[in-house]
Amino acid sequence: MSRIRRIAVAFAVVGVLGVATPAAALATSLITISGSTASYPLVELLANKYRKVEKNKVKFKIAQGGSQAGINDVTFGRVSIADVSRDPKSTDPKGLDFYPIAKYAVCVVTNDSNPISNLTAAQVLAIFTGKTRNWSEVPGAKASGTIDLISRTSSAGVLSSFETLLNGGKKVSTLAAQKTSEGLLKQAVEADQNSIGFLSNYNADSGGVNSVAYNGIGCTRANAASGQYAGIAHFYEVTNGAAKGAAASFISWIDKAKAAQSIIASEWVPLNE
Amino acid sequence: MIKRALQPWPDSRAERTLGAASLLVGVCVVGMLVFVAVQAWPMFQHQGLSWLGSGGNVDSQLGNLEHAGAHPSASGYYLRAWPLIYGTLLTTGIALALALPTALLSSIFIVEFAPAFLRRVMIPVIRLLASVPSVIYGLIGILVLVPFVGNDLITASEKTSVQNVVELTGAGLGVAALVLAVMITPIMVALITDALNTVPRAWREGAVALGLNPLRATLAVSVRAIRPAIVAAAVLATARALGEAVMLYMVAGSVGFAPKPVDGVTFFFEPLKTLASSIVESAEGLGAPALHAAAYAFALLLLFSAFTLSLAGYLVKLPLRKYEVRA
Repeated sequence: MSRIRRIAVAFAVVGVLGVATPAAALATSLITISGSTASYPLVELLANKYRKVEKNKVKFKIAQGGSQAGINDVTFGRVSIADVSRDPKSTDPKGLDFYPIAKYAVCVVTNDSNPISNLTAAQVLAIFTGKTRNWSEVPGAKASGTIDLISRTSSAGVLSSFETLLNGGKKVSTLAAQKTSEGLLKQAVEADQNSIGFLSNYNADSGGVNSVAYNGIGCTRANAASGQYAGIAHFYEVTNGAAKGAAASFISWIDKAKAAQSIIASEWVPLNE
Repeated sequence: MIKRALQPWPDSRAERTLGAASLLVGVCVVGMLVFVAVQAWPMFQHQGLSWLGSGGNVDSQLGNLEHAGAHPSASGYYLRAWPLIYGTLLTTGIALALALPTALLSSIFIVEFAPAFLRRVMIPVIRLLASVPSVIYGLIGILVLVPFVGNDLITASEKTSVQNVVELTGAGLGVAALVLAVMITPIMVALITDALNTVPRAWREGAVALGLNPLRATLAVSVRAIRPAIVAAAVLATARALGEAVMLYMVAGSVGFAPKPVDGVTFFFEPLKTLASSIVESAEGLGAPALHAAAYAFALLLLFSAFTLSLAGYLVKLPLRKYEVRA
């Protein structure tokens, strides 16, 4: 009998400790985020700044996985915010609130050894739908041989934005290799002389790949800010129903605070520009 | 309490404890099977067995599963997974065809012909190789073999010949089957050498005394005697090849394409995706219910193949038992 009592006491102590620890941690709130790999560099900078502003009373857990993974996670309540790098779609679950936080440009990129300066809308469409399959058919290309298309998996918001804005609303050919993140797509383009792909302007500008102008307008932050460039898309923070609590304060801080807007203006484009 | 447990146990208690432990293992296995089947059920409910068939682009279909929303309709589960099943069978089959003769011949060498010092070195080395984590093979495959095949073996004309069907990057069937063969050979060598060592010396000596040379004596007596062990080694290696996920995800190109044997040499350069590696690839999208059900359906199919494989191995071994060595 005494042994059973001892075990019961041990369980009770463990139970009390288990309940007490989270209660002590309640003073700080946790914001969980998943989704876009393209907006990850921006959201991470914003989160670090916000944590400092809030004197470490807020904690972040940021996962990637692509915009669609974020949409699914936030729908089922697994995260408080989804990062999405494409516009809302009619197929998205009902009741999601999209809060735009910044604009970015989608750039067509090639290998550095194949520094094409410009592609027209028709050329981009022909290449990415698989009609043009050889670099010899592309004027100004230094590469020769088959064009290696590098695309993203269907979870990617940048893929949807690219298809809508630069590919005439057409799907990228199924011939393309599908990469699960911006980083992997960039690596693939860096490694293959015959490749062509697309990246958000932050990753396209960070060296290693050649960013191609679209219809004669360079894919740069300046041309995106002036609105001349065709491929301008939005990053969204998405919540299930109107944002509440810590998530709501974070989103409104991004929208209002000068510090947040200057982070966005460093590599991306603020909404009001 | 601990003191009592350390004292010698009475038979009845030991029996009950050991029985409970083995029962627990059985319950876990059955529980896992039931769980996987229940999770996979929506796929069977909406698609029947037709998802095992072919049709359309399986990569786009897996993408659509992820976009099917929180409450997918029956058409939201549309999937034709044949290219994945074909890719799994193809890599496993070719890898086994490469690995089995290699393993058998090298085991014969190690046990019957190698000098003693070599044998003392080789057996531990092969046991070590058998336990190398597969991701290391994948890393060497993707950093060394894939660029080599892509840059030096695939010619521009081969790329052009299939440019409207699939892209050849170096990652594909050839590299996948080769690395898989390298991965499963040591397991088979370890098992077959153990079996050869149990063949009584006198049997082989008798064969030599009857005038057979050492190689023919080995093939006629030792190898014949250990046929059940060879089957067992092949079954174990095949099971490992079937379930291999990470390495194949890295080196097979991860494109849901069914390589076509009519393409000649290019066949071995064509990329593919296996069932297990598409589970790895879907890992981040598993929040979507339709993709979730598809991943469990793949898992169920793999469990089912493993079960069929053990059963087939057992049935093949039955008639071979006649000359079996009982160690």
